[in-house]
This record gives sequence, structure tokens and C-alpha cells, in this order.
Amino acid sequence: MNTHIYRVVIRSQVSTGRMLALAGLSGVAILLGFVARAANDPTEFATQSMGTFGTNIFAPFIALALGSAALGNLLEDRTLVYVWLRPVPRYSIATASLAAVFSVVAPTVVAVMTVSAAISGAQDIIWATAVATALAVFAYSGLFLALGLRFKRSLLVGLGYIAIWELLISRLGDWFARLSVRSYPMSILSDATGVEMRLADRSTLASYIVPLAIGVAGLVYTTWYLTRTEID
Amino acid sequence: MNQTQAPTQAPSNATITAPPPQPSAPPMVQAIGVSKWFGDLVAVSDVSFSISSGVTALLGPNGAGKSTLLRIMCGLARPSNGSLTVLGTDPRSNIAVLGKIGMAPQQESLLDYLSGHEFVELAARLHNVANPHDAAWRAIQTVELDPKDSRKLSTYSKGMRQRIKLAQAIVHNPLVIALDEPLTGLDPRQRREMIALVHRLGNEGKCVIVSSHVLEEVERFGSQVLVIAQGRLAAEGDFREIRNLMDDRPLRISIRTDQPRALAVALLDRCVISGCRIDQDNLVIVDTSTPAALRRAVAPAAQDVDASLLEVRPLDDDLESVFRYLVGHG
Repeated sequence: MNTHIYRVVIRSQVSTGRMLALAGLSGVAILLGFVARAANDPTEFATQSMGTFGTNIFAPFIALALGSAALGNLLEDRTLVYVWLRPVPRYSIATASLAAVFSVVAPTVVAVMTVSAAISGAQDIIWATAVATALAVFAYSGLFLALGLRFKRSLLVGLGYIAIWELLISRLGDWFARLSVRSYPMSILSDATGVEMRLADRSTLASYIVPLAIGVAGLVYTTWYLTRTEID
Repeated sequence: MNQTQAPTQAPSNATITAPPPQPSAPPMVQAIGVSKWFGDLVAVSDVSFSISSGVTALLGPNGAGKSTLLRIMCGLARPSNGSLTVLGTDPRSNIAVLGKIGMAPQQESLLDYLSGHEFVELAARLHNVANPHDAAWRAIQTVELDPKDSRKLSTYSKGMRQRIKLAQAIVHNPLVIALDEPLTGLDPRQRREMIALVHRLGNEGKCVIVSSHVLEEVERFGSQVLVIAQGRLAAEGDFREIRNLMDDRPLRISIRTDQPRALAVALLDRCVISGCRIDQDNLVIVDTSTPAALRRAVAPAAQDVDASLLEVRPLDDDLESVFRYLVGHG
């Protein structure tokens, strides 16, 4: 990984709008923790809210906002040339970018969701929330990093993907659910607490392996795209 | 391109071209039949040339294909057909050669959240330059900016942006330097300094390729020139020869004088115009196939007939018409 490119990508990601979105969604996550604590069955409520909010909304939206911008913004504003012109292996650019996205999104989202789980008072869910959210963030970061390079209006495309594929089509049947990122971290939460959730019926092994594979696939595609694409 | 060669006629595609480079001066950049198209749009068409050390100007109107050629040269794009090598290798497939290429692209956009020094130091670090901090410092001083200036690039003027782009292009001491329209946005003093710097780099044995759409700029950059028009190589060789060729193309010239008829007759008598028309407002519109001779003759002819010359203005001296002539010549 190239630390110089990592730092450039980190700095390019920081914007007022993204930080406000991060703060706003963090506030909602913490609030959900308190609501779960007051619920009749804190474990049930916390599992559902961590699954629904954490892996369906918080992780994908923040990963989209930062992941699609990481290389996508550099490509769009034509400054990628200042990285691309250097004798740096393309996989190194992709790896540094994914690391930059993950290192901003993961600590925030994972920490906030874990704190929210702790606030709920449901002990079983704390570690599962941390692991499930981290895996979701990794998968979405890789996916949206690639998306940012591939599409010009990547934010809109990503929003469309989350809303249409992840939130709607994935409900149509088991095969669609298998192709949805969120079903895997939700399965980890469900396994840990015994709370049944729709879509959360992936095997334990798949729940851990598939999100990692999706993130790595995004990284491989990003590397391939950087090698093939023509820079303006 | 050999430094002393004059342009000659090409047999096939109406391109004015210099002979191939001498074996003693291996080309640093070599294009063989390079074409580049984007869908139906042909940006570069079957262009071949060789460039050795020194300054070479890439001249052509906007949209002629200059930037596309520079992008191919720096590995940012691949040719649709043909091959282009830099220092004997394909810059697209061999990223190691990028360490020997420096490029200042045309676009103004920079990594605006960095300071000038951070921007140039980043380039130095990515090129694995020893002591990147000092290298960046020197490169920024070379382009006459202040390395201590901690302001973000977003606050830089157009001229400062041009110079910081040059600094990042030279910080790693590359052998081949591609500068896309580097004088844009510079004031006259900065232009002089930029041109002097480009000459200095060329004299150090580097291969400096400078693109421009302004004839006068190219004249000041150096004697070697590649003229690109409509994606094709229209002329190649010594700029003075090409300039003479440009000067000798047929022209329509408007002359404003207080005695248009007398001046028109005087010019016809001197056989420097092939036709003329007296227009309103004391205008004589003349056609000439020997514009250089007309330029020499017009003042004496006016003097002979006691006419005052109020204005002499070429009507088709825009770059497009110059390049159209070059493309069609031969």
C-alpha cells in the first residue's frame, strides 16, 4: 500500500457535507440504542435496529459517500492524473484508496454502532454488531470504491443500488437475498442473538467470507479498471 | 527530430516532413502510424514522427489532436492503432518509464487541498526521489514560486497554477517532459521566464515537447516543430522553413488607404497581387499568392502614389486557415 496516496485520498474525502451526514447518522444510531434499552425486549429491538439501520442504512450510505468519492472525485475533477502519472503499481493506488475509505468509515460506523448496542443493554449483540458492521463496511467500501471509478454519477447510481437492489429486490426471494450484501452481516447478528430477521438466513461461514470476498472483488475490479482506463 | 533538418515534401500524404533521425541521435519519443479515435471522432490519424533531445513544439489549432498525442506519450491513453514509444518502451504497459516522464497537463484542476510544496513533494515521493522535501523546494524555486508559501492550491492564480504544474513535472528530473499549453494564463514576464526555463531544460539534454496553438509562442520555443491539423501531421521540421511556407500561402488582404484606386494600380503594376476589389470606406481587398512580396511592396507603392496607408490587415490569417493550407499543400 502506498501511504502517500492513502493520505491524499483521506484528505480528498473530508468535506463538510460528508462529515455532517456522518454526524447525523451517528446521532440516529445512538438514539436507537436508548430506544432499545427502553423496549420490552431490548435484545430483539437492538438486533432488529442494528440489522435494519446499521447494515441497511448507516454502513452503506457512509461507505457510498466516501467510497465513491475516493477515486471517483479525482477522476471527475481530472486530478487523478497527478497520481496516475507516477511509476506506482495500479494495485497500490487501489489498495491505498480502499484503506483510506475503510479507515475513515470503519472506526466511525463500527464504534458508533457498537456503542449503540452497548447502550441497549443487550450483551449478546455487542460483539456481533462490531463484527457485522465492520464486514458490511468492508464490503460496501470495496463495492463503492469501484463504483466511483466506473460511473460518472456514482453517488446517484449507488443510492439507486442501495434503494432498489439492497432494500427492495433482495426481498423477492432467496437467490436475490444471496446477492445482497446486507443479508450476510444481518445473519451474523441473527446468529449471535437468536433473533430471527428476514434475509438473515445465510450460513455462518458465508456470513463472514462473502462480505470479505465482495470487498476484495471491488479492490480487484478497481485495480483492473485503473490499468485499463484512459485518464483525462 | 534532428535539430538541423529543414522540412521537405513527403511523397504520400501531403505532409511536410523532415528526414528520419540520424543513428547517432536515437529518438527519445517515436510514433509510428499512431491513430486515436473516440467512437466516430478521429482525434489523431496515422501520425509518425521521431523526437530527440531539445525543445520540440507541437503546434496546431484547438481540437487538432495535440493533447491526445501528449496523453498517449505519457501513457494516459493508448493509441487505437500504431505504436508510440518513449525511451524505447510503451509508456502504457511499462509504468517504470513513467519515472522518466514529466507532464504538465492542460487542465487547471489541481489537488486544491494541498499547498504548493505538498503538491510537488507528493510528486517527488511517488517518484521515489531522494530527499523529496528538498527536491520539491528546488523545483518550486525553479518555477519562481515561493516554496514557503503555505496557502492551499485553491487560492493560486492561473499563472501560479501553470508554474506549480511545471514544478511537479520536473521535480524528479525526467528525461522527457510534456507541457500542454504551458503559457496559458501567464503574463508577458512569466512567459519569457517560462520560455527561458524550457530552453534551459532542452539544453540540458532533455526532450521537451511543448504544445501550443499560438504561432508566435511556438516561434519563441524553438526551431523544431510538429504541426498537427485535423489529427494529422501537417508539417514537421525547422520552424523557420515552415514559417516561410506559411508566409507564402495565398492570402486575401484588406488595405485601407485614402487613395484606393491608385494604390491598387500600383500594386498590380508591381505584380504582387493577382486580383483586387475596391470596397467602400476606402478599402482595397487584394488577393496575393506572394504575401511576403506584397508585404515588402505595399509601403513603397503607397509612397509612389502619395497614398496614406491607414490599415493593412490579412483577412484569412487565422490559425485554421494556416493549418488548412498546410494540410492541403503539396
